Amino acid sequence: MIVTLTVYRWMLCLYPGSYRGEIAEEMTSVFLDAQSTLPPALAAKISFYRREFCGLLSGALYAHFDRLFGPAIPFRRFDMQSQFRFPRSTVLLMLVIFAGTVLTIAKASSIAGARPGSVWPSFVSVGALMLLTMCTAAAVVVGILHALRRSGVYRLENVQGRMDSAESNGKP
Amino acid sequence: METFALSEPVLLVLLSLAEQPRHGYSILKDIESMSGGGVLLSTGTLYGALQRLLENGWIERVEEDSTPRDRRTYRLTSRGRRNLQMEIERMRHLTKVAALRMARKEA
Repeated sequence: MIVTLTVYRWMLCLYPGSYRGEIAEEMTSVFLDAQSTLPPALAAKISFYRREFCGLLSGALYAHFDRLFGPAIPFRRFDMQSQFRFPRSTVLLMLVIFAGTVLTIAKASSIAGARPGSVWPSFVSVGALMLLTMCTAAAVVVGILHALRRSGVYRLENVQGRMDSAESNGKP
Repeated sequence: METFALSEPVLLVLLSLAEQPRHGYSILKDIESMSGGGVLLSTGTLYGALQRLLENGWIERVEEDSTPRDRRTYRLTSRGRRNLQMEIERMRHLTKVAALRMARKEA
């Protein structure tokens, strides 16, 4: 119990300072209440801690996105989706890109090894590193966009737009 | 009538607060009970949702001097109640259409 509370408090440190100052104490109190009523079954406990720690990680991530980008980025409603599943196709795509990058680096290394003393090896290494960075960034962006579409976030963003327009028109 | 759909957790948080003002743990337990144990929100998810609902003015904190800081109470605002009512109307319309369709299919 003490260990999990320590981990929980440590993970709260991942939230932005202002957010943490406002609700960390309250979240910890709710966590302790929920923990105290856990059923004795091991599976229930594992499920509870998995849910709590994953929820904290995603909550901290989106709190940071919120702080950095504000409402311009639709991440702010991301964690409200109960039906969210990270699509398998995105995982597959990321694996393919990763494998391609590894192969590119291996190929680049073999070319560099075949030409000792050439100026090209350094260019090849830098190029491979740039490619790796770009592929990783692309995979992350594609994954996030795909996941957002699957989770129906765009639908919730429409809600706010409709509400605002309804209010500006004076409708109930 | 404006129509829109809310995600299940948001709808359940709003429904939980529609009956009476509640604090965080009470909302969690009420949602668990309302969904028959089907929706178990983590504290991270709950407070993410509460924070956004607060920002959007759908709910507000009940400011009481006697309330401890780790057990603050939330309640629906008139805006939140109005939007919840609209969502319920939308769902009512949807179930009506669904019942009609099913009845036609069976006839």
